[in-house]
Amino acid sequence: MGFQTLGKILGVNLRRNFLPHFLAAVFIIIAFTLLMGISALNEVQSARPVEMVMPIVGVILLTPVFHPERDENIRDVVRSKKTSYEAICILRVIYSVFFLGLLCGGFVYIMGLCESSVTVRHFIGGFASGLFLGAMGFFFAGISRSVIVGYMSPMIYYTANYAFGRRIIFDLFSMTTATDFYDSHIIGIKYLLIAAAALILLLYFVMDIYK
Amino acid sequence: MLFFKECKKVIFSLTFIIYFAVTLAMYFTQFHNDCGEPLRKPGPSDEYYGTVAREIPEILMPNAAEGLVGEYLSGSFSAYPYGFYKNVRLSENKKFRLAEVITELSGLTAYELDNFEDYQEAGYVMGDNNGFVYVEANIPEINIPDSLTYDRFRELMREADKIIGGGSRYSDEFIVGNFSLVPRTYEDALAEYERFLYDDKITGAYARLYCDYIGIDIAILPVFVAAALAGFDKKSGMEQLVYSRKVSSGKLVFTRFLALVTVMAIPIIITAAIAYFKVKSIYPGEALDNFAFFRCAAYWLVPNILISTAVGMLVTEIMSGMIAIFVQGAWWFMSIFAAEGGLTGEIKPFTLVMRHNNLLKSDVFAMEMKSIIFNRLFFTVLSVVLVTLTVIIYEMKRRGVFNGLSDLRKNSGRKSKA
Repeated sequence: MGFQTLGKILGVNLRRNFLPHFLAAVFIIIAFTLLMGISALNEVQSARPVEMVMPIVGVILLTPVFHPERDENIRDVVRSKKTSYEAICILRVIYSVFFLGLLCGGFVYIMGLCESSVTVRHFIGGFASGLFLGAMGFFFAGISRSVIVGYMSPMIYYTANYAFGRRIIFDLFSMTTATDFYDSHIIGIKYLLIAAAALILLLYFVMDIYK
Repeated sequence: MLFFKECKKVIFSLTFIIYFAVTLAMYFTQFHNDCGEPLRKPGPSDEYYGTVAREIPEILMPNAAEGLVGEYLSGSFSAYPYGFYKNVRLSENKKFRLAEVITELSGLTAYELDNFEDYQEAGYVMGDNNGFVYVEANIPEINIPDSLTYDRFRELMREADKIIGGGSRYSDEFIVGNFSLVPRTYEDALAEYERFLYDDKITGAYARLYCDYIGIDIAILPVFVAAALAGFDKKSGMEQLVYSRKVSSGKLVFTRFLALVTVMAIPIIITAAIAYFKVKSIYPGEALDNFAFFRCAAYWLVPNILISTAVGMLVTEIMSGMIAIFVQGAWWFMSIFAAEGGLTGEIKPFTLVMRHNNLLKSDVFAMEMKSIIFNRLFFTVLSVVLVTLTVIIYEMKRRGVFNGLSDLRKNSGRKSKA
């Protein structure tokens, strides 16, 4: 795939497929900001909006990667072309993850401007939670061929995490419930989430290639 | 028959299977495992019976005044203006107004407040023996004037709440629960236990707890099942074929709605039955209300299934399943996280996810009964209205008058560059 082709594919996908989801994610962030208040929070209080909203942003951005080819006939036509369909999906995942990072970083930065005590940990924590849940949505949307199942699975995980609290290993809200915010165990959980997300994404593509 | 065909479609759909599994999982992990031992009867020599909020001016006034002075000195105020926690910082103008309120209720002047340098907020600090020790807040001495009546004090608190932006600890809604907690007596605890035994007949209390746990998922998961079914015709390319059939839009849509609700009630009935037998096994020989679980599930959980399904069907028909999930998800989210201010006694007329995370406090639940009845009736009626709108939209699509908002770009007349 040449750079020119890549550029065209990227432009079309960003404009037609990604933009509505990106705008939905921005809307969610703005709504949270207005409802919850992000001013003058300490480290643990600041972790709450980040860990609550970023997983949802991750789901919104990553789950609909396969949505443009939801119709089986369209999918068959796309797969019959010279340009690899898997490569296009990988491209979509890459820019979705990039924009997740951008939104997470932007949100944390704005919290900092509003005099909340935020650190790089908040960015890593929010990004990790968002990536993990988004990867989960992506995986289930891919294997079930249904974006609705793709949204359902991370929603269930999010609810279960909320209900179970700290009894889940891959805890999305570990910073919010931390007694010691700077405990290395807390950031360890976040790196675990990133690693798990990467594995989930890789697993799907390996399964798809060997199918 | 159309109803049974639609039920079969729902039962064998992947989204319903997931919904069924999750409901069972939620039941077994949250409620079933928590029901191990029977509730212990309070004894006369117990050290602690808990606390209860009682409006006692002699306790409330000094505590609330100290709270307000403490937050003023810390520079930030905790509030729940929209149900979500917010840390409020005041502008100079608002700070000045609040200082006037504090001066009237405590005698402390704005100068004394702003120049108090030894403020220390209450909390736990490391003690001498490497253990944590609780220290009280260090604030200036507060002398509430004898001439200040309780009514005037409450007016001042309302004004403080207004300055902070609403939803603060000094609002009428939260002031008693925050600042006037008194130890419960043995008689209080015994009376509550007897209400649990004789008014609730045990299962009534457990039924509320069961509905509290299951209600969290029931308010959101049905939208996935509904959106999947509503979009099924389009996905399988059968839309035009169904449109051409003789069956009326009203019959088709309402039949689908009833099929969805009926099938999604199945795991509720199953878990309610399991819960009843579980509680019966913990309290052998006791007089139980045999239908409490089913009755509670009917009025508490079914309206959630109705409204979530109706929203799923309507928004999917107008736009798409993704938008339906987004809309219901946002509503669910706001309801769940707004309730974190209190998991008991917070049921309002338009609360989507009702919470009562307590085996006791039936008196609190009884006080909310008007709100509960209105709430559940409102959502039931609203779901019927939404399904009626779905019928109208479906009929418009059938006649080719409207093709859904997700197809607006296709219908806008833009020419392809090719």
